[in-house]
Amino acid sequence: MLILQQIVNGLMLGSVYVMVAVAFTLTIGMLNFLNFTIPALFMVSAMITWAATAAGFHWLVAATFGMIVAILASLVIERFTYRYMKAKYGDATEHALPLVSSLGFLIIFEHVVIMIWGTDPMTFNSPFAHAKFEISGIIFGIPQLISLALSLVLVFGLSLLLKKTQLGRALRSIAEKPDTATLMGVDVGKIVPVVFVMTGFLCALAGILFTVNYQHVSPYIGDHVATNAIAGMVIGGLGNIWGAIAGGLLIGMVEVLSIHFWGADIIKVPVWTLMLLILVFRPAGLFGHTQIGKGKF
Amino acid sequence: MLNLRSVEKSFGGLKVIDNVSFSVKKGSRTALIGPNGAGKTTIFNLLSGIYEVDNGSISLDNNDITQIPARKRIDIGMSRSFQNIRLMPHLSTIENVMLGQHHLANSARENFFPLGLIKSNKWAKLAEQSLIEAGLGTYPGQVVSELPYGIQKRIEVVRALVSNPKLLLLDEPAAGLNSSETAELQILLEKASSTGTTLLVVEHDMNFVRNLCQHVVVLNFGRKIFEGTPDEVSKDPQVLEAYLGGDDNNAS
Repeated sequence: MLILQQIVNGLMLGSVYVMVAVAFTLTIGMLNFLNFTIPALFMVSAMITWAATAAGFHWLVAATFGMIVAILASLVIERFTYRYMKAKYGDATEHALPLVSSLGFLIIFEHVVIMIWGTDPMTFNSPFAHAKFEISGIIFGIPQLISLALSLVLVFGLSLLLKKTQLGRALRSIAEKPDTATLMGVDVGKIVPVVFVMTGFLCALAGILFTVNYQHVSPYIGDHVATNAIAGMVIGGLGNIWGAIAGGLLIGMVEVLSIHFWGADIIKVPVWTLMLLILVFRPAGLFGHTQIGKGKF
Repeated sequence: MLNLRSVEKSFGGLKVIDNVSFSVKKGSRTALIGPNGAGKTTIFNLLSGIYEVDNGSISLDNNDITQIPARKRIDIGMSRSFQNIRLMPHLSTIENVMLGQHHLANSARENFFPLGLIKSNKWAKLAEQSLIEAGLGTYPGQVVSELPYGIQKRIEVVRALVSNPKLLLLDEPAAGLNSSETAELQILLEKASSTGTTLLVVEHDMNFVRNLCQHVVVLNFGRKIFEGTPDEVSKDPQVLEAYLGGDDNNAS
């Protein structure tokens, strides 16, 4: 029964990884760009939600602040890493420069937050700390359940948007051949920021749900969550949205179960060992490489 | 309809298009021919805005379009196919064709409305109809990279056609097609021409050019060396020297 409880907890934690993993997989699948600022987007939304709540705002208002700031930050990254490099060097995706500059933004964002609020972990007083119910001995936290449901609904919606709408088709054609898409009248300069808005939105929502669920924040939470999300994305298959869901949930379970069996100290070892094993035996991940992207990685 | 006036283009000091002027009459079918490296595809890239013109000007229906960005040229009625197929390899046939309608169906509602879910959608219907008319009605759901070359080549022409072009630029549309595919392509292009679309075709296959086009412009080393009917072209000594004189198998 305890194991079952751990699996439930793992799935709940995994739902946060799913959203971040989908954010990673979107920019990789669409733009062939490993966006290293994603951990900062996650952390910034969590920190702002905490800070605004601490300043007396209703948690929903605070979460909206967090969301807005993360999306704006994501657009700043688009402007100064992806777009700048593309304008200057043609196809930004062929350079490591956007990757390195997004790493720069990660460090800057983290340290701006440290300058303002310091490095100490803070406690977030969740209004839902005691909202839970029990089914035959297994406890389900309501906010966790909501975040699991939200992440699945969101990703399903996103997949629908990508597969079934004209905007999605334009995005996928940019992923395949941006120059030809331009000649078909697709406004690449307007549509690429959409990917960054989606990235910011997913990271911010993950950050807010993480804060509400686990009731603590620090300038470093992004690193832990995002590295696990990267592992989840690779396990599922780069650029593959459904792979990101499966990988994220799997990582959540592996993490919670390893803590249960071996303690918190070695938590990273099972996760990354699993990822390396998958890479050795199934280099394309469990679900294969992207159907939405360039199909070249 | 289309006017090129003293167009010039250089790449790193090498002049690849040198003082080229010619006109394409409204509703006509014009061919642009010349040996390999003559600058035909460069002219197409200048026309579609992929390259910027160094000197000279291009006008469409008496409007100067020299400075119009590549993305907007489909809006003013120019669309093209490519020498090397440039379909989106992982999109389905119908999605590739519908990409040709992107600039027509660009309202917010059309952007977010789930097109694929609604089979009765007007754009999906139009795209499917165009595929059927081109004899490609059996492929709408298939991913294009899995289809044979000759079919992909024609899908690209259909994609260019559904954008409602006034001027259709075709870069070697018959290259790599077998004779029955070439015949089908010709029917497709004649149908487009009969509804008023002006055609400008780069092609090596002289039989195809003779059958389709009334007017031929000949380029060699980036300069226009001749202009006339297909029969005149094949008799001109300068053209024979430059283009038909060698051991070119297509030049029968």
